[in-house]
Amino acid sequence: MPRKLTEVLAQADARLEYQAMGTPPAEPTPREVVGRPSPRAERLRDLYYSALSSASNEFPYWYTRSYVGLDNDIPIVRRALALESAFRHLTPMIFPGELLVVGKTHHYRGSFPMPWLSEGYYMAAENQLYQDALARGSASADEVSTFGTGGGNVTKSFGSVVSIAGKFGIRKEEVPAMLRVARAWEGRSVDDVGHKYEQMAPGYEIKEALMKSVTCMFDSGYTLPQGREVVNYYYPLQFGLDELISRAEQKKSEVAGRADGDGLTGMNRLYNYEAASHVLRGIQAWIENYAREARRLGAVEHEPVQRAEYTQIAECLEWIAHRPPRTFYEALQLTWIVHVAVLNEDVISGLSPGRLGQVLWPWYEQDIAAGRLDEEKALELLECLRVKYTCLDCFASMGVVGGVLSGNTFNNLSIGGLDRSGGPANNRLEELILQAAMTCASTQPTLTLLYDDKLPESFLLKAAECIKTGTGYPAVVNNRTAIEFLMGQYGPEGMDLEEARAIAIGGCLETSPCSWLPLTLNGRSYWIPGGSGQPTSVGVHFLSLPKILELVLFDGIDQRTKLRVFPPHGCALGSYEELFDQVKAYFAKAVEVLSLANNIQHDVWRKNNAAVFNSLLKPDCLETGHLINELGYRYNATHNVETCGTINLINSLAALKSLVYDRGVVTLAELRKALADNFGFRTADEVGSFSLSSQEKRGETTEHDRTHVECLTAPKYGNDTPYVDGILKQWEDWFCAKCRDYESLNAQPYYACQISVSTHAPMGAVTMATPDGRLAGTTFADASMSAYPGTDRHGPYALFASATCWDHAQSQNSQLNLKIHPSAIQGRAGTKKLLELTRSYMRKGGFHIQYNVVDSRILKDAQEHPEQYRDLLVRVAGFTQYWVEIGKPIQDEIIARTEYEGVRE
Amino acid sequence: MTTSLRHMHCRNYAPVDVVKGVCHVTKGIVYGDKDACPSFARLPQCAACKRYLPSDDEYLGFCSAAPDHPMTYPDLAAVTCEGFEWKSA
Repeated sequence: MPRKLTEVLAQADARLEYQAMGTPPAEPTPREVVGRPSPRAERLRDLYYSALSSASNEFPYWYTRSYVGLDNDIPIVRRALALESAFRHLTPMIFPGELLVVGKTHHYRGSFPMPWLSEGYYMAAENQLYQDALARGSASADEVSTFGTGGGNVTKSFGSVVSIAGKFGIRKEEVPAMLRVARAWEGRSVDDVGHKYEQMAPGYEIKEALMKSVTCMFDSGYTLPQGREVVNYYYPLQFGLDELISRAEQKKSEVAGRADGDGLTGMNRLYNYEAASHVLRGIQAWIENYAREARRLGAVEHEPVQRAEYTQIAECLEWIAHRPPRTFYEALQLTWIVHVAVLNEDVISGLSPGRLGQVLWPWYEQDIAAGRLDEEKALELLECLRVKYTCLDCFASMGVVGGVLSGNTFNNLSIGGLDRSGGPANNRLEELILQAAMTCASTQPTLTLLYDDKLPESFLLKAAECIKTGTGYPAVVNNRTAIEFLMGQYGPEGMDLEEARAIAIGGCLETSPCSWLPLTLNGRSYWIPGGSGQPTSVGVHFLSLPKILELVLFDGIDQRTKLRVFPPHGCALGSYEELFDQVKAYFAKAVEVLSLANNIQHDVWRKNNAAVFNSLLKPDCLETGHLINELGYRYNATHNVETCGTINLINSLAALKSLVYDRGVVTLAELRKALADNFGFRTADEVGSFSLSSQEKRGETTEHDRTHVECLTAPKYGNDTPYVDGILKQWEDWFCAKCRDYESLNAQPYYACQISVSTHAPMGAVTMATPDGRLAGTTFADASMSAYPGTDRHGPYALFASATCWDHAQSQNSQLNLKIHPSAIQGRAGTKKLLELTRSYMRKGGFHIQYNVVDSRILKDAQEHPEQYRDLLVRVAGFTQYWVEIGKPIQDEIIARTEYEGVRE
Repeated sequence: MTTSLRHMHCRNYAPVDVVKGVCHVTKGIVYGDKDACPSFARLPQCAACKRYLPSDDEYLGFCSAAPDHPMTYPDLAAVTCEGFEWKSA
């Protein structure tokens, strides 16, 4: 029997602690709080559970058919006409029992490819373009990414269903047309055109090597060009679509032929308003088609309640297709339609509804007061909304959807925070949103609590109660730290404190700029928050920090592919300072070349594929006549540098500093040899597990055992140890400042973003053993502030002290995940304990914390018997996902996370 | 497009995914590839349109409703198509 890592450690009287602060009860403990939705929502959610991720060709067909026929029109108008046609022709589909209607496609869980962005990744393998795409560095992430094989993922073809992009099923009858449509974009997509021009940027060969070695995970310009932002529902809610079209038409006549002092883009306003008008008309027609379908169904329906509901749906849609909503139901339906319309315009991950409970408060408040609505009905509608959100899929490449997103769509709904004048912004509707999230547990929308000490205790306890359901939401974000970041990043564009208080989270935990807008309903005035910034899904994404260290240790050569990524540094690395300087130098070079290529890709996107609908929703595009491509958004400094593997880098630097430079117990040459030999272990792939503790020795060799034990027992992050925390602070201070040296295509500075999403699995999979004792191919520590599994031995408060040794307001975010056994926070006292724990981290200046409340033994059982756990939810890193839809590397990592059996100091 | 009419070609079929759907008549789950039932009501699709021009490829054709006869395909739903006209039986 090959020796396990645990045996190697035991022989040296050492071990990793996967359970901290006590021991769990003898028997697996289920989650304490379990909710149940209304019968209607439960039926609709059950339908989701049975649904496969389904792709269709209808939207791309009509988009392409229109676009191709419009040669030589102004690009933004041409795109708008294509979008209008696509929306007009989508087949409306309503499912029995639905109160909220409209989907991305006619499938209950549907999505579609957008070949105008990128087409090669899903075309048939024999296609030359596909082969070319594979040869590109950008395809490397696809090869190392995995999906969970359960749930709705279609990972293999069967019957009349063809699996594409690793996750989606499409009917075989549609495949030839889908490929024909895709071929129309060969050489024309943002991917292809961007690729042509990015090669002209200096250092392009390094950029390609960074992608091929998976030092960087993906190009955002043509994969997810929008997202991780907060949508803005204000204009349709306040004015209605007829009025917006009318304004666009009026503006056309005001600006036509006039530069108005702007010789560069002044004339473009005419075309932009023309584009806005077309897209709005397309969306209006789309809604009207749904209304007609509801009427048709109502006419043939025999069951009276269902017939009445079809009539109710039709009346609602017929009204909101033209006019501003009058009731909570109409307002909710309209926000959902706007949301889907934005998602259908582009490949977007992380389009967040923002503070939806505060946006919809005027209708809710007035409906409740007038007796038009009661809380039970509101709760049912909110549950139905959860099902609709959960049905959303994002169609992108396997590397992106599987490797980065784990199939999640990151529609993050924020609650709490402060209002415009600095008072607590929570309301009763937000409590119902929390309640719906408990009774109708599902992945979307995920929730974020904007924690502020001003929020009432009862509200915070309600959020803690929700966390105890084990769904992983709400995540808790530090409102004050976020505001401080926003003021620093967007102050130069005019953001003041009042505006910064509108903050909401876009995507999983991207601090996003928002604004207050004045809404009037039945003569009463309100200020409602909404997104006003460009996407933050854009920039240099994701950079693997442990891989950068690997490249430093091996003079620029990737040890997996043997590819030279960087020119040789030629440095002897004779001191820790030299080593650290070289890490910084390689990192800086990587960001330099990646940012240049990224800017070009996004420039091609904004020239050929700019958002029209999403743009006109954001202040101040409608007023100025400039869309996203002409910096019409109020805030445009949103490009960032996103990293992965922070803690493995820090632990590795600590190990190198301690073992090689301070104590001299191992030479750098010996360590390099041990790393190259994976400390005598088999690879994670060979073992079939991606967590450290499961790894097995290769034969009987003991050659590297001593070195490995030294590496594993070297000082580790998460224990309030100044030796390691000092390194973290040194890195963070440098990294956060360094990002600002790079300029985005919007002529704004980049900034730091520190979330792993799911990249810690594929990036770990391609990275050799690291000096912290982690073995080759195993998953990195999740997030950016989570401890490496089994190495945080001194409780959560020690972990908090380590995590907050640096100023989190320097970065767009940081991320800390904690796994707590349900028994540790049982009952009302446990809820308070959880809140106190969270409060402690917030008061120390921590930006974000989220919890997995689960017994690890249940996760292990779910891995063995996935068929019994279709509805099991876990928190990964910034998002909640169905266990069965997550790839094994991430499953292994979540199981391995240190489980806290108690949370006392 | 296959010759036999199946649930997936029915106006009462609401597709949950690429395999199955909900029947608006029975409210139950039906499989799209199964043969249609007596409640069948034809879904407007290109294959059922008199403007549809077939090609050598079973799954591709052309639309004669547009002047340049663009490519289309038989299973494309035509519920919202301005040019759709039922093909005579």
